[in-house]
Amino acid sequence: MEIKIALAGNPNSGKTTLFNNLTGSRQYVGNWPGVTVEKKEGKLKGHDDVIIQDLPGIYSLSPYTLEEVVSRTYLVNEKPDAIINIVDGTNIERNLYLTTQLLELNIPMVIALNMMDLVRKNGDKVDTAKLSSELGCEVIELSALKNEGADDVANKAIQLAQNKTIGNRPSILSGEVENAVKQIEGELSGIADDKFLSWSAIKVFERDSKELEKLHLASDKKKNIEDIIEACEKSMDDDSESIITNQRYTYITGVTDTAVKKGRAKGELSISDKIDKIVTNRILGLPIFALVMFLIYAIAMGGWSVSIGTAATDFTNDVIFGEWVPGFFDTILGALHVEEGTVLYGLIQDGIVAGVGAVIGFVPQMLVLFLLLAILEDIGYMARVAFVMDRIFRQFGLSGKSFVPCLVATGCGVPGVMASRTIENDRDRKLTVMTTTFMPCGAKLPIIGLIAGAIFGGSPWIAASAYFIGIGSIILSGIILKKFKAFAGEPAPFVMELPPYHVPSVVGVLRATWERGWSFIKRAGSVIVISSIIIWFLSAFGTVNGHFGLVDNLFEDETIVTDEYVQKLADRMDVEIDDVNAMDASLLASVGNVISPVFKPLGFGNWKPTVATITGLVAKEEVVGTFGVLYNYDDSDEELGEEGEQIWDRVAADYTTMGAFSFMVFNLLCAPCFAAIGAIKREMNNAKWTWAAIGYMTGWAYVLAFIFYNVGGLLTGEHGFGLGPILGIVLLAGLIYLLVRKGYQPDESAKSLTSVDANA
Amino acid sequence: MPLTLLKAGETVTIRKIGGSDEVRQHLSELGFVAGEQVSVVSESSGNLIIHVKDCRIALDKSMASRIQV
Repeated sequence: MEIKIALAGNPNSGKTTLFNNLTGSRQYVGNWPGVTVEKKEGKLKGHDDVIIQDLPGIYSLSPYTLEEVVSRTYLVNEKPDAIINIVDGTNIERNLYLTTQLLELNIPMVIALNMMDLVRKNGDKVDTAKLSSELGCEVIELSALKNEGADDVANKAIQLAQNKTIGNRPSILSGEVENAVKQIEGELSGIADDKFLSWSAIKVFERDSKELEKLHLASDKKKNIEDIIEACEKSMDDDSESIITNQRYTYITGVTDTAVKKGRAKGELSISDKIDKIVTNRILGLPIFALVMFLIYAIAMGGWSVSIGTAATDFTNDVIFGEWVPGFFDTILGALHVEEGTVLYGLIQDGIVAGVGAVIGFVPQMLVLFLLLAILEDIGYMARVAFVMDRIFRQFGLSGKSFVPCLVATGCGVPGVMASRTIENDRDRKLTVMTTTFMPCGAKLPIIGLIAGAIFGGSPWIAASAYFIGIGSIILSGIILKKFKAFAGEPAPFVMELPPYHVPSVVGVLRATWERGWSFIKRAGSVIVISSIIIWFLSAFGTVNGHFGLVDNLFEDETIVTDEYVQKLADRMDVEIDDVNAMDASLLASVGNVISPVFKPLGFGNWKPTVATITGLVAKEEVVGTFGVLYNYDDSDEELGEEGEQIWDRVAADYTTMGAFSFMVFNLLCAPCFAAIGAIKREMNNAKWTWAAIGYMTGWAYVLAFIFYNVGGLLTGEHGFGLGPILGIVLLAGLIYLLVRKGYQPDESAKSLTSVDANA
Repeated sequence: MPLTLLKAGETVTIRKIGGSDEVRQHLSELGFVAGEQVSVVSESSGNLIIHVKDCRIALDKSMASRIQV
């Protein structure tokens, strides 16, 4: 028989580590139905018939956060065969609060007392036998980080599940409250599920909306119950919910007083507290954070000898995908007698290998960045970053928790978007998902390099302005969107537990790094392969003087490519006659030609940048590669530089200063690459919101590029006063209006902590 | 007085928690209940890190001002 075991516990109690210990790599990760809360399920190592269900980290079973609702619905409706309640031994009092609620569910339960190594180190003493007899439930010591005790916990849970052993539930409530709840139990008997009778009664006493909805009580029953509650509230002089909360804590204090001896006097600062005094300090907090960030970028993306990320990516691009992989396929294709110049050869080498290679090349750099971020997360510093940045972000209507996704997005937008999951409030999370890819990610850096090099003489200010525009776009979007009804309201109050600092666990950090990296590689293997093939097809095929086929081959046939045809093509594509090449006759060029008028008002209404922008949807670094092809770079002598150094002259000749800048702005801000769009779709979990996000980003990019080109051009004297600049000024005024107007005023209830109502 | 007026290093006892039921309930689940002793680990322009029941909770000004000590 299959056994289902649920893993429940507070956030930061080591639940994920225990789950990984128990299931190894046999995990299935998905979403809970209808919400973007991660659902993790796995088979117990060595027991194919035991399924471990990891519930989200929660503080209680009240219906306030999505996580709580999800966990509660699972426990009550799915009725797992046993619960493993993981309790942080260094913080027993707060963790037992959830335990008291879980005990009411009458499901066989074992308590895994985690972090016992730390408990001993702190000099605390926990009498597990006493704890166990007080709670009426097995307590097993555990140290998930050191992988000690996990097997005992699992075996105990299986045993309990098989024997259906439910311990003696301790009486948590006392006196009047106990009586009141007993009376309600009487009223509910026959209506509520027998097994959950006491749970239901307590929830009804708390006036829990979800439970009341479920029970459908008749109005006279409702009145009887309400009378019982009111009488109790009156004599206790408190509301029913607080009464229960207080009783739980009173009970817990009683338990811990007998079973736990603290090695440290109450109020004495722990090491974590001492570190926090410095790193979250009002004055030192920000400079310390800036220094940490600098070190991370120096290692992952910089150009120094410590920059292992850059070195690894260069190696992948130049050697693995520059020589080894194409060489490998050359050998295979050669053995199969597939000649260069045939359709199949082009599809494999130019389409798939080149397309996927361009994306995979970024993986080593990203892995280094993710590794460093995972270390910061594991140590506990990321939570502090959110706290330090909250002060600043709150001014713009965003929560400090939105900062971490933006930070990750400077490496790659995909994990950046995924990192938005930690934001509980639904509106804040959607807003973050919509804006976080404005940050210039690693793949956008070559675009910046190309424009800075070709047009601005390599000025470092262009890169600085790109980051400034990215952050500015996030902040301005925050202010503007917050004034619309869908996003209105203060950012949710910032309440966040700061886990104690600890030495990072190697396995945990590597696993987190790999999970993020792998989700990126998987997309590279699906979306990017398909879109690379499409782009390759469009660029390789075309009609040359009435003949359809591979344009490269057709161009070699002098009976087809007549002088007259070349002249016509040069006119049509607006290029010098010497520069005409096969690409100009491709389908892609025709598509670009049709779409290019859209970009005319932005100063780059030529088919080449249009096509580059389209290929940028596959992966942003493709933009520079496409420019290389379109600007006729002859790759016979040497590889095109990452920032397209060899074509700078030709690019410069084609653009005005502001036109090139506007091109860069548009490409930095518009719809991100397909991989990131996929991530947005997953996080939004809703087609309408996904399109809204893509539409907003592209619209924002268009408006900003329009203003930069037209108004900027007017200011620099690039072009005179006319329709463009007038429209630009109108748009700018509109933007300012959106920024300063009085927005939609939500009523008090919208300023809530939770996202439940928005989704329920 | 509200918790926001405290300086880093001070230890106090919570007297009362205000605000909507929902906010109060959430705070109580995190360990902020009347009678509980808490200490301020760090403070920056009203945002606080509070040591309560052996863990550290970061609170912004709007949340901290609901806790009377």
